[in-house]
Amino acid sequence: MAQPLISIEHVSKIYRRDSLQIPVLEDINLDIGKGEFVALMGPSGSGKTTLLNLIAGIDTTTRGRISVDGQNIATLGDNALARWRADHIGFIFQLYNLIPVLTAFENVELPLLLTRLSRHERREHVKMALNIVGLADRMEHYPRQLSGGQEQRVAIARAIVGDPAILVADEPTGDLDAKSAEEILDLLNRLNAEFSKTIVMVTHDPRAASRAHRMLHLDKGVLSSQAAASGMERAREGR
Amino acid sequence: MKYFRYVWKNVFRKKSRAFLTMASIVLVLVLIVVLSSLLEAMEYDPSGGRGSTHIVVQHATGLANFMPLAYRQRIEQVPDVVAVAPQIWFGGTYIDDRPENFFGQLSTDPEVWAIIHDDYTIPDDQLKAWQAARDTFIAGQQLIDKYHWKIGDRIQVKGTYISMTLDLALAGIYRGPDESNIFFHNKYLENSFIGRMSQTGIFFLRTNQPAQVPVACDAINRMFENSEAPVKAMPEQQFMLQFAEMMGNIKLLVRSIGLVVLFTVVLIVANSVAMSARERVTQIAVIRALGFRRGQVLALVLSEAIVLAVLGGLAGVALSIPFTHALVEGMKHSPVAPFAFNVRISATTLLTAFGASVAIGVLAGFVPAIRSARIRIVDGLRQVA
Repeated sequence: MAQPLISIEHVSKIYRRDSLQIPVLEDINLDIGKGEFVALMGPSGSGKTTLLNLIAGIDTTTRGRISVDGQNIATLGDNALARWRADHIGFIFQLYNLIPVLTAFENVELPLLLTRLSRHERREHVKMALNIVGLADRMEHYPRQLSGGQEQRVAIARAIVGDPAILVADEPTGDLDAKSAEEILDLLNRLNAEFSKTIVMVTHDPRAASRAHRMLHLDKGVLSSQAAASGMERAREGR
Repeated sequence: MKYFRYVWKNVFRKKSRAFLTMASIVLVLVLIVVLSSLLEAMEYDPSGGRGSTHIVVQHATGLANFMPLAYRQRIEQVPDVVAVAPQIWFGGTYIDDRPENFFGQLSTDPEVWAIIHDDYTIPDDQLKAWQAARDTFIAGQQLIDKYHWKIGDRIQVKGTYISMTLDLALAGIYRGPDESNIFFHNKYLENSFIGRMSQTGIFFLRTNQPAQVPVACDAINRMFENSEAPVKAMPEQQFMLQFAEMMGNIKLLVRSIGLVVLFTVVLIVANSVAMSARERVTQIAVIRALGFRRGQVLALVLSEAIVLAVLGGLAGVALSIPFTHALVEGMKHSPVAPFAFNVRISATTLLTAFGASVAIGVLAGFVPAIRSARIRIVDGLRQVA
């Protein structure tokens, strides 16, 4: 692998509940290359989401170091980290987490409010993102007027509208029917192949994981195995 | 400004809650405007800032006691006193004893009435007609508008504590600061018990200059301090205020009520904003994850509270104007009518009320905004949306 985009070195995470210490991740070492599509698998409580949160800069390590594009994110202050997230990370959640009072357009526009783009430029960016996910005709719809699959596609448009290098997806198909899940996975593969997005996806679903280039297994906070996904080659071919 | 749509839509996320919260602010602001206007009316200066030249002299122990009419000549000797008129509050009922038919009936000396009431106007011929006939009266324009009396019309006013009925013809119509009274001849009461005892309720007088009022009051008080009926001379404004103060320190009471109500509505709005913020913990965690800084989250939640309060404030200020006017109309037909004529909704009052709404928003939104800004992203995302 060339220079990794994400470099995780000896990372441990311990949660403290009163006097209790709960180790969640233990001495994780991992490199993720630019343009890679990585699936994190493992049973509940194995630390998948925690590792994803650490990579995305919304949680902090107890020990160790995470570098993204050469930047040690542990050294960033709260405001700088917020700015860093806005610039580098796109979030895709299991329950979509769209703002219910905002239309699809307004939800996708939300991250762009943090930029210096003009209203017209924001509008163009949002239209482009919604076009990519195939929902240009649903711009004025509210989340309640969309199906689960459509909501997730709006969430993906929100994740990519700021053109971040990394997409972190936490069970992106976990709340969807099989057909919608396939459409979402196709979309993620397309974003990875056509737009070179580095994707880190947490999933329970082996079929979803098979769409990734690499599957990582976590068990009780320890990275137990790494394997190339069986569908990797097909994914790379853009399926 | 680009965040305004986000703020606006979140304010009306739960429409019924937003409108009920705004309604509480509206009610409070209407109350603030009404109370402030009443307070201003109590402190109203009929001279319009030039300073009043009027003095009221009453018995030192209160209005329930009368003073000898003979005091008039002695008061007239006080330096700088222009004219003195004995006056008696008749307190009778017209048509019936319903409050809306209540108005002030004062006996006075028509010969000096116009000299003393230099802030009132009346046509000369009407004044002369009134002075010429003891069974006539003059009325303020407000009463004329209400009862549609015409010159020459007769009215009957039945006495309450003075057991006689006035039967008077309208001789003139006056304009001035308080048009809610009628004035009639002292001579008409000569056969009443007060008249027979040669006594009066108050003396109403005027000095040359406003600056002479305290000096004259002091001189009059000293003049009768060792007599059987000591007096209390005071500026007209103070005389009016003592009616309100019979109920205690009404200004302090009114201000205290205003502050308590204001504080209560801050708690109501704070609870509403806090509830809204609590329901959106996941949403707040999401926007933080997207890159919003803590300060921006604080500003957004605080802005929601301020927008809510300002909308309530604007509606409250707008509604307070017709509400106060309606209240004043009601007061004009009650024993506190003299105050009603002084009630004005000043720009200062409206601005103060609007400022109070902004303050409500800031105070109510501050704690929920800080709490929202402190939400840990991972904790917020863990909550089920």
